[in-house]
Amino acid sequence: MIKFEKYKLNNGLTVILHQDLNTPMAVVNTLYDVGARDENEDKTGFAHLFEHLMFGGSVHIENFDKELQKAGGESNAFTSNDITNYYAIIPAQNIQTALWLESDRMLSLAFTDKSLKVQKNVVIEEFKQRYLNQPYGDVWLNLRPLAYEQHPYKWATIGKDISHIENATIQDVKSFFKKFYTPSNAILCISGNFDSTSIKEQIELYYGAIPGGIKPARLLPAELQQNKFKSKSIKRDVPAGAFYYAFNMSIRKSAAYYLGDLLSDAMGKDSSSILNITLKKELELVSEINAFITGSLDEGLFIISGNLSENTSFDTLDKALWKQIERIKKKGFGKSKLNALKNKISTAKAFQDQALLNRSMNLCYFELLGDANGINEEESIYQSIEHNDLRYFAEQILVKTNCSLLKVHQNAG
Amino acid sequence: MLDRKIVPLTKKIDKIDFICPKEVQLNSHVKLLWMSDVPNQTSRIDLFFDAGLRQDRNIIVSLCSSLLLSGTKEKKSTDIHHEIDALGAYFDIGLSHEGVLISIFALKSNIFESFKLIYSAIQEAVFPEKEINEVVNEKREKFKINLSRVGFLAQREFQKKIFFDTPYKELTELEDFDNFSRENIIEFHEKHFKKGLSRIAVTGSLLEHEIKEIKELCTPNCITAKLIYYKDFCNKAGIYHVDKSNSVQSAVRIGKTMFNKTHEDFIDFSISNTVFGDFFGSRLMKNIREDKGYTYGIGSALAETGGSGYFIIGSEVGIQHKEATLQEIQKEMKIIAEKAIPEEELSLVKNYLLGQILKLADGPYAMMDLYLSVEAYGLKMDFYNSYINRIHSIKSEDINKMAKKHMNWDSMTIVTSG
Repeated sequence: MIKFEKYKLNNGLTVILHQDLNTPMAVVNTLYDVGARDENEDKTGFAHLFEHLMFGGSVHIENFDKELQKAGGESNAFTSNDITNYYAIIPAQNIQTALWLESDRMLSLAFTDKSLKVQKNVVIEEFKQRYLNQPYGDVWLNLRPLAYEQHPYKWATIGKDISHIENATIQDVKSFFKKFYTPSNAILCISGNFDSTSIKEQIELYYGAIPGGIKPARLLPAELQQNKFKSKSIKRDVPAGAFYYAFNMSIRKSAAYYLGDLLSDAMGKDSSSILNITLKKELELVSEINAFITGSLDEGLFIISGNLSENTSFDTLDKALWKQIERIKKKGFGKSKLNALKNKISTAKAFQDQALLNRSMNLCYFELLGDANGINEEESIYQSIEHNDLRYFAEQILVKTNCSLLKVHQNAG
Repeated sequence: MLDRKIVPLTKKIDKIDFICPKEVQLNSHVKLLWMSDVPNQTSRIDLFFDAGLRQDRNIIVSLCSSLLLSGTKEKKSTDIHHEIDALGAYFDIGLSHEGVLISIFALKSNIFESFKLIYSAIQEAVFPEKEINEVVNEKREKFKINLSRVGFLAQREFQKKIFFDTPYKELTELEDFDNFSRENIIEFHEKHFKKGLSRIAVTGSLLEHEIKEIKELCTPNCITAKLIYYKDFCNKAGIYHVDKSNSVQSAVRIGKTMFNKTHEDFIDFSISNTVFGDFFGSRLMKNIREDKGYTYGIGSALAETGGSGYFIIGSEVGIQHKEATLQEIQKEMKIIAEKAIPEEELSLVKNYLLGQILKLADGPYAMMDLYLSVEAYGLKMDFYNSYINRIHSIKSEDINKMAKKHMNWDSMTIVTSG
């Protein structure tokens, strides 16, 4: 059970306090309710580029990291299609420094033309390192627009194209900040070793006077119901053919999210999963196979991906895979398999919750989903899943007309 | 009224209470370390075997460690994995030049059962032919994919030159996947797993009798002689390039033979290395990423081996920035050797490092890991107190001295790929 206290400042900032007197550290985690899905289609990659600029100096502080490091702390951030999350980890006695820094950049940024120029280059190198200079690196750049035709999930967080990053102007950046980086659009979680009375005074002192702003309304184009199978083939210099079956599934806040998560574990998480045992071990059709869900806030994807063994064709794999899917729909899983999956989830959760940073990030994330206490309720949802729930989910979701398939073929020679 | 221009006061960290695990002697060379005070339901058991790459050809060693849970006389591989799943347990197998580390993670209610299950599967492994083939195919495919990564290519070449002319220099080649026999693996297993247990670390509130049982179960498999590691490395300096057409980035690896914690320069050098390239505010990051934008990231580290160690700088940079990056790194080496470290920078690094140590000592797992990483070199936990004291006392000229002594450009192995 993770204990916490939750309240709102007058400017709309949601505050979560999670005290842990066993650690000498503290974490200041800030989640902004903005991600790549909030970008304009002609200016993609922006939420992420912006995250880099958040380290380029704020209204009263020239260098964020430097001040934090001087106080013994460190920080980082990540951007997803849904959110942007910043954290600072610092010795508990210096927590005030982290509040000073994080609140100042919520108040206003003050980065220079040079930092914009440099961070554009850094992000372009990140684009190359992660997506262009890796075998299978551009798979998601192709799979997203295949699976999503309307919703902004059709582009990756890094952006559709390098040119979008190159063309970003300082004006673009400023208006992005103004719209999304306000107290009313943020959730702050302070965790670790602090005094709960004085921390509230400090939070009020540093954050209380920041103008609240208006939480931006989100009206995203909805994806139309898919009614026919889609597929795309690309050719690359890769050592083996690879396949990505993407099935549309529900939003994060639905019960079906948990079914998808558990079913993907059962089908392709590790060596004892169904697809590993059948397609890899018994039939030797693949050298690798995985199943997982994207877990996005809006409608997500259930993915089955893998690499073909030498001499296996896409068709052979396709037939064998669908046969397994049909078997799951018909027979489901035995009780012992289901219990094992649940036991593994309990263990994983206990280890995750050990780390202060995980607790802080998850409290913010669950608050965004509607209630921070979700962090304590999630496990019982998994435990309540029954055999027929998974079968039902498979029947609904794992059907051909709900599927987009990306095939990566080897270039000849 | 809050004045945001005023930097909040900070407090220095001057003392950390390090906690040592209990030690149980299995024989005169092997210890079981036990950190029993864990404030939650989790637990971990680490098993160390003297079964690293240095002991045989890479292909044999790596197949053996990957196949440890692939079946016994009584159980098939899938049976073993289903039993592990039923206990909700996870495991991880790590292989290095100098050993294999098997970590078992489970809730404390299941850790002892998980240990018994996994340990007996490892000791009784029979290496079925079909399982071997499956793992070989999987590894071969992964290897082929890796060969198309510039980082992997550069790292291989770097390793060849860093471990030049020593038993550590062997690189796996594609043909190796067809060039071994099942008997090789069985023989290796007999020698290095049935008789190769070198250390156990238990983190979790197990019961006394469980620890005793672990001891009894494991003692027959322990090593019976002191571990001796190769010491006499000397990197082959020079500039090397591995070609990889159509790359949009080059991988860069630069380094040389160095030392481990037992060396008198270790602490001073590692503080100097933090200034140079070992954190987000390091000189390499500030110059090559934050000023020039040549890369998404660059860093340097001191990697330790049982008897020695090496220094390594790594980055992936835009292909057009490769030469400029090398020049800037060379320039930074010269600056850190010759110019005084500005007071503000040095004090920042000191505070940052103290915060890092505090974080690395947070909780029983972190404490166990700290202990393991000194115990391996015959040192005690007071190493960290010496480290903290030295952070307080080190001066600009000490850092110049370290750089002058150990960061000479001409002594470096410089590898690029792309």
